[in-house]
Amino acid sequence: MVVNSIPSAAGTLRPSALSAWAERHFKWLIVAPAVILILALSIYPLLFSLWVNFVNYDFEIPGHDFVGLQNFETVAADPIAQSALLLTFVLSVVNVAIEFVLGLALALCMVKSFRGRGLAMSILIIPLFISPVIVGQSWTLFLQRPFGPADYILSAVFQRPVDISWLSDFPWYYVAIVIADVWQWTPFMFVILLAGLAAIPQHLYEAAELDGLSTLKTFFYITVPQLGPIITLAVTFRLLDAVRLFDVIFMMTGGGPGTATYTASYYLYQVGFQQFHLGVANAGSWIFLILLSIVIMTLVRRLLKAERT
Amino acid sequence: MNEREKRDFNAGLAEEVDAWLRGDTSRRSFLTKLMLSGAAAMLPGLGWTAAGNKAWADTVDLSKLDLADPSTPLGKAQADAMKASTEAPQDGSAYRAVQAAKQYSGATLNMTYEAGLQALEPKNFSGPVWEALTGIKSNVIELPHPDQYSKPIAEHIANSGAYDILDVEPAWIPSLANGGVIIPLDDYFAKYINKADLEDYHPLYKAMPTYKGKTWGFFDDGDQFALYYRKDIFEDPKLKDAYKAKFGKDLEVPKTWDDYSQVAQFITDQLAPNVYGAAHFRKFGSPGNQYSFLQQYRANGGKFFDDGDFHALIAGPEGVKTMEQMIAQNKASIPGNNDLDAVAAWVAWLQGKVAMLFSWPPTGRMTENYSQSAKAINFVPQSVIAGKAGYAPIPGGNGEHATGYAKCIAAGSPNEEAAYLYTQWTTSPPLSLVRVMLPYALRDPYRIAHYTSPLYQSLWPSAKDYLYNLCECSNQGVVDIIMPGWQDFALSLDRMCTAVWGGQDPKEALQKAAAEWDATNKRLGLDVQKAAYEQFKKLPGSYADNTIEKLGQSVKLP
Amino acid sequence: MAVVQAPPLPRRRRSARRNPGLDALRIAFLAGFLLFVLLPLYWVIITSIKPTSDYLVVPPVWFPSEPTIVHYTAALFSYRGLQALVNSLIISSASTVLSTVFGTMMAYSLARFNTGGQHLAFWVLSQRFLPPVAVILPIFLLFRSWKLYDTHVGLILAYTFMTLPLTVWMMYAYFRQLPKSLEEAALVDGLSRWQTLWKIAVPLAAPGIVAAAVFAFIAVWTEFFFALILTSRHAFTLPTVFRAFLGFQGAQYGEACALATTSLVPSLILGMLVQRHLVRGLTLGAIRG
Repeated sequence: MVVNSIPSAAGTLRPSALSAWAERHFKWLIVAPAVILILALSIYPLLFSLWVNFVNYDFEIPGHDFVGLQNFETVAADPIAQSALLLTFVLSVVNVAIEFVLGLALALCMVKSFRGRGLAMSILIIPLFISPVIVGQSWTLFLQRPFGPADYILSAVFQRPVDISWLSDFPWYYVAIVIADVWQWTPFMFVILLAGLAAIPQHLYEAAELDGLSTLKTFFYITVPQLGPIITLAVTFRLLDAVRLFDVIFMMTGGGPGTATYTASYYLYQVGFQQFHLGVANAGSWIFLILLSIVIMTLVRRLLKAERT
Repeated sequence: MNEREKRDFNAGLAEEVDAWLRGDTSRRSFLTKLMLSGAAAMLPGLGWTAAGNKAWADTVDLSKLDLADPSTPLGKAQADAMKASTEAPQDGSAYRAVQAAKQYSGATLNMTYEAGLQALEPKNFSGPVWEALTGIKSNVIELPHPDQYSKPIAEHIANSGAYDILDVEPAWIPSLANGGVIIPLDDYFAKYINKADLEDYHPLYKAMPTYKGKTWGFFDDGDQFALYYRKDIFEDPKLKDAYKAKFGKDLEVPKTWDDYSQVAQFITDQLAPNVYGAAHFRKFGSPGNQYSFLQQYRANGGKFFDDGDFHALIAGPEGVKTMEQMIAQNKASIPGNNDLDAVAAWVAWLQGKVAMLFSWPPTGRMTENYSQSAKAINFVPQSVIAGKAGYAPIPGGNGEHATGYAKCIAAGSPNEEAAYLYTQWTTSPPLSLVRVMLPYALRDPYRIAHYTSPLYQSLWPSAKDYLYNLCECSNQGVVDIIMPGWQDFALSLDRMCTAVWGGQDPKEALQKAAAEWDATNKRLGLDVQKAAYEQFKKLPGSYADNTIEKLGQSVKLP
Repeated sequence: MAVVQAPPLPRRRRSARRNPGLDALRIAFLAGFLLFVLLPLYWVIITSIKPTSDYLVVPPVWFPSEPTIVHYTAALFSYRGLQALVNSLIISSASTVLSTVFGTMMAYSLARFNTGGQHLAFWVLSQRFLPPVAVILPIFLLFRSWKLYDTHVGLILAYTFMTLPLTVWMMYAYFRQLPKSLEEAALVDGLSRWQTLWKIAVPLAAPGIVAAAVFAFIAVWTEFFFALILTSRHAFTLPTVFRAFLGFQGAQYGEACALATTSLVPSLILGMLVQRHLVRGLTLGAIRG
């Protein structure tokens, strides 16, 4: 198509010195803007943040004295940090697992054409476009006693009084957080998995049908293996975001009751930007990053490798 | 469009559309009106923009300001404030500030304010008026509450001179002063202020912005907790008889915390589900838990730190007693009590669902539907209990002065003197009266002149009782822990309380919080903290035995 | 040009027809989930048009008898909502464009020339995992000294930086799926490398670019933390103003819901415009078939 129309035009051009230079360094020139921007905005913060690890940086204590490893010790010894880390791990796994199952189910429902599919699709991706801060507040309005309608609806459905304190009773605050997170992120799983399903070659299914495979068997012998790499991708991307769970906690429970819903990110925010112990929060972020990086390295390297083969 | 025209337009627009939605207006007349009001709003708007670049003298036109109808109490208070700023008394702080500030005409003052409702006041009223009077412009920087502390410090570190005037919690002053973020104002006081205007503060508030022998700001928001109760319920003969029969004493507005739980439980038992005994804002960050605990703990005789080894004492018997009382209160209250935030508690009260509520002063103004008169920016429902509310001191006698605001001057402000003068002006008696009377404002009375103002007292029939009760509550009031580490202390308490509401053992939670307090002091430096605590103990309202009343300085209003 | 078979969506096996039970299950599940998605949305939208006396009551009001738009006029005009909406639109679109352009260029280089080996690619991706809490204070100080604090440009750059890793990754994956042969033919025919990129590769990668752009837009449109720290009077965005309605003493639920609803509108429009491309773009690229 386009290819045929170009040579004559391009061939007659005499490349100037500049364009020759640009041509020679093409591959570096086109990475330059992105690399420069990232360097500009990451080198200094990175060095600064390394420095802050080892000094006093606290809005309540003037001065920046060298404190050695004290910031790290403070975080490591804080029982809230430990429980927050554990909760982050558990919530991430639970959230991503539920979102994956629901997302896959939705994708299977939606892969076939039907009337109203476009509308359903439009509705399903709405949560993706809403700020998590707003999502958290919406669910708070919906669930919070005594004015939220959730308990009222449940009472009507079950025909007996339901009064659950969604945001302050164990274990309902965990349920509420999972609901909000699932509401927001299932669409992400769904979109990616749907794309994956749509890319499975049709002839595989036709063959399966000819062989008389049952629906269940077709799903496990064809769909799942074909979907494998996409599942890795979707779960990886989602997991990397899930471990940062912050906004929903911020709006819904504020980490409470007590410190029951502190996640790592919320803990760091609280220490750094509500209590203003930036040195400690910074050291905490590095510990968190280092712990995470083991997971990140494995997953990202695998993704990159998958791309390269 | 200036702020006033803008708001008139908004209110008009909203009304028109709503009328159309209800079907009161036909579509055609609706569209016509809409276009007319739009055009009417655009024309002066364009004119205003064009004139915006002219020298201030050309645009000084008080009619352009957002002033209330001159026949209303608020309108009269505004007229008085204008007069005090431009004519007399010439030795008043307001007049002096305006005169001295004229030399800075053309400067711009950057002031931090809490985002949302609070910020409407300087944007709609004091900012434009100050500009009209002095030619000094104002920029309102809207920040979420915690950022009102952190942003000024971040800017201080960046040495940016970005802020001139800081609206801060008085409890932050020691940290900010130690860090060199704010400057002492004593020299300016000597130069400009009328001493009588300084003496006009309620003594509890006069002392609050002082630290290490200096004054670091102007107190500007009397966030005094008081008890609001339903007179009709407490006077109900049937209830009174039943109470007498059950407890052998009269049903009265409770004076102790044990009585409070008992009365609340009794009312709940009698009247639920129509009315419950009480409501509290006890959700995490609501932010009620720390204040409830602190006032009750001190009423129970508790002290915060050991005078010897300085360890935290909150897990002692007074702390345990306080937690037990609070648990009893929760049980006696409206279902969902522990999930309420401050606004939800107000809503429950205004809808007549509860008999008692202790909260901030806006409660009284909302109860009488005064706050709701600012239609376009209202955030609570109409009150169904107007005229039925009584006012009383907090049970136990020591109501918390919860948070409050003080205006401080940022170190490194490029307009230090102008910033000081604005602050002196806006907190002076005639100006501050207007600001605490604005229906939408969340600023509350703090000067003797506010409590005794005939204009404020005429806002609703029982407004005088309301003001006198606030004054009395401040006489007995206790203040937040005004020393470095306050955020940490408060956070520990909030976590402790919500953990207990969630089912944790109170004693265990108290010990955990006490350990957190100790860790906070250790981190901030025991010596620094001890010194700050000595300062705090001297403040009126530090403890139940050191209130204004106990110091013999009570303000007794005629 | 039959190399890239964009698989049209409405397809898949006919076998489901044989299984009415499965069909019923499918419809029930889909309907249930749609209800789950719509319920809180409905509540927010309906709260935004309720008079204050209707929004915190028991039993809940499902539709107000006297709907009002007062929260919209207040949120947009009396407060900073309208300006926040404009700011959010400007900042989101600009950083989306920058991120997509820079990201596509870099991804092309990585995919076709293996520039910088695996390390460069890994380095870019790893930027995504910097904890915001650790970098936000230095970025704030940096922006202060560069006079970028509280400016649109500053926030646009910050967001471009924030979204680049994902864009690069998605486009990198996409380009690797595209056959090289067309570009090679173009080079043989005398096109410069730049012309090849713009005239051959980019048009071929268009669906992927759309998908990457949408994800960048979503990330910026919904971001809260950076905006909170890096803006104050001028460049504030919707989520920060939304948060400001939930103040210390006065939570304005009506205004908050009105602003939330307003922020939905551009998203919905975008969502409807791109929903088809979204899946198609993902199908070929980030997603390996």
